[in-house]
Amino acid sequence: MVSKRFIAKRLLLLVPVLFGVATVVFAILHLAPGDPARVILGQRAPTQQVVQLRRELGLNDPIWVQYGRFLADTAQLDFGQSYQIAKGSPVWDVLADRLPVTIELAIYGQITAILLGIPLGVLSAVKQDSLTDHVTRIGALTGISVPIFWSGPLVLLVFATFLGWLPTSGRIGSTFFLEDHWVLFGTQLPLTGMVSIDTFILDTGAFVQSILYGEGLGAFASLTEYYASFISAVQHLLLPVLTLGIYSMALLSRMMRSSMLEVIRQDYIRTARAKGQGERITILKHGLRNALIPVITVIGIQFGTLLGGAVLTETVFGIGGIGQLLVAAIGATDYPLVQGTVLVFALLFTLVNLGVDVTYSYLDPRIQQ
Amino acid sequence: MATETSTTADRRGIVERLRASPFLSELLSNRLAIIGLSIILGMVLLGVYARLFLDLGAISQSQLAAHPNKAPPGWLGSAALDQFLFGTDAAARDIFKRVLYGAWLALKFGVLVVGASTVLGISLGIIAAYYGDVVDNVVMRTMDVFLAFPSLLLALALVAIFGAGLSKVVIALTLVYTPRFARVVRGAALKVLEDEYIDATVALGARDPRVLVRHVLPNCLAPITVQSTLNFGLAIIDLAALSFLGFGAQAGTPSWGLMLKNGVSNGLLTGDWWLSFFPGLFLAVTVLGFNLLGDGMRDALDPRMRETVE
Repeated sequence: MVSKRFIAKRLLLLVPVLFGVATVVFAILHLAPGDPARVILGQRAPTQQVVQLRRELGLNDPIWVQYGRFLADTAQLDFGQSYQIAKGSPVWDVLADRLPVTIELAIYGQITAILLGIPLGVLSAVKQDSLTDHVTRIGALTGISVPIFWSGPLVLLVFATFLGWLPTSGRIGSTFFLEDHWVLFGTQLPLTGMVSIDTFILDTGAFVQSILYGEGLGAFASLTEYYASFISAVQHLLLPVLTLGIYSMALLSRMMRSSMLEVIRQDYIRTARAKGQGERITILKHGLRNALIPVITVIGIQFGTLLGGAVLTETVFGIGGIGQLLVAAIGATDYPLVQGTVLVFALLFTLVNLGVDVTYSYLDPRIQQ
Repeated sequence: MATETSTTADRRGIVERLRASPFLSELLSNRLAIIGLSIILGMVLLGVYARLFLDLGAISQSQLAAHPNKAPPGWLGSAALDQFLFGTDAAARDIFKRVLYGAWLALKFGVLVVGASTVLGISLGIIAAYYGDVVDNVVMRTMDVFLAFPSLLLALALVAIFGAGLSKVVIALTLVYTPRFARVVRGAALKVLEDEYIDATVALGARDPRVLVRHVLPNCLAPITVQSTLNFGLAIIDLAALSFLGFGAQAGTPSWGLMLKNGVSNGLLTGDWWLSFFPGLFLAVTVLGFNLLGDGMRDALDPRMRETVE
């Protein structure tokens, strides 16, 4: 069991970190060169307008007043309005639109990494110093040495440009329209913003409707037609997810291998073997369960790498998530948008690590002391 | 590690001293680490050659009038074998020469980032460990704030403050990497500070700076070296990543990251693969070199690994 005290303590420790994060983010706007009012209005705007906008934005107030206001606004998820990219609209709205795109990419990437990385790491450890082990280790080492902005273009060249099997960029084919809601029994329901889930819901809706009121069971014959938008979404996701996932997979399999190596030298593994238990059960039941504990922490830490990787992946594959948004916002000196995006990234990372810590303390109660 | 053998070791020749050090002999018997070291040395040679013998102006500017643009590597087609080994880019520049010069840039800026953050990290880490209490808390909680950002994103946030350009990217990445070193050094220093010889030195009247520089630092060097080597690879990737995103090297500079950016925008849809392939290959191989060496060093330092790792 995870004690409430542990969680309370862990949450309390978050406060100074979040406070510091907010301070760094506040500094972005105030240390960056240039007058925000000038940035918004453009270089040729009359001085009078600039002066007025400065007053409206509260830029003439003492810095600590601005800081206090920033903290209060941020606590309410009010990041102000975008200067350039989505001129005038609240930063939070822009972020809310784009965030699911990045989360979808990160989640699938993480799943790929876990599904491939953990078995490979275990295999490598169990067959230590065999050919399999050497190949896996060198493969993993190569994997973490290959940057996403090289592997991404390479897989695109092979599978999209030369073979033409998969699309080069975007989230869905141009013939499809990305809906933001769906209709169930006449009521409008919001969608998730994650293209694979949304298209699946919509396509399934159309498919079920057809079975009930249209073609009947004959609809199964044209299953791929009903799921065309979902299939297109998956095709668009495949390469970015693999590119992102394989990098994290390499990291994970290395950690899994060394953790597993440590565990299988423990006495209780020898005991399990000595009492005649099968090798498979010994490794999976006694070994893997214990070896996974430290690896879970690593999953949290490398989630940060994954988020950084998402920025690069989105840029390579032309996916409009918050990573691409951040790059565009920096380029356009759209500071409120930069602040909002950075804050959201830091928040995501911190929350994932909090979740990891809680999971860890559940798996290994000793950590709570 | 070094203190107990240093008096006797001083009298021996360098070869015996190398053999006497369990760390070095372990490292030298690790084949992968040797491969890593060779890759790094090879890149250093290529980089220095490029710096000395290639004309930066000529490989930075467009050569459209003189050369064909986006010509495939010479050995693939009609061109003579020695001409354009890696082909030319969209501005008709020789990719081979640019890739070689890229090695110089990557190593130079990598050394700057890792060097600066190592020095800063060592200072902060040792000070935090030695003075403890309030100092420790203030330093390490500040480091925690920086570590709360995914590293590339913190670098991007700092670039938003400092602006684009290679030198500014170096400052940003130094700030990103310093907390990692500070954390490792603090941990190592805390362990060293528990040792009795530190108490003895203090009892003999040594002042703080002397204790820190002469006694604590040398005994923390091993983990610091491993950390620097592994982070060198990451720093080179991050430097290239920021150039790839358009915030590092400015147009024309033969940096691997920028060449990859150009390769993606000019060669992806048309299938001109050599624009991205060669800069990325050199980048990946260099990083692999540092990872192999860093891994070998870590294994050599960890006695638990000694029995099994070849």
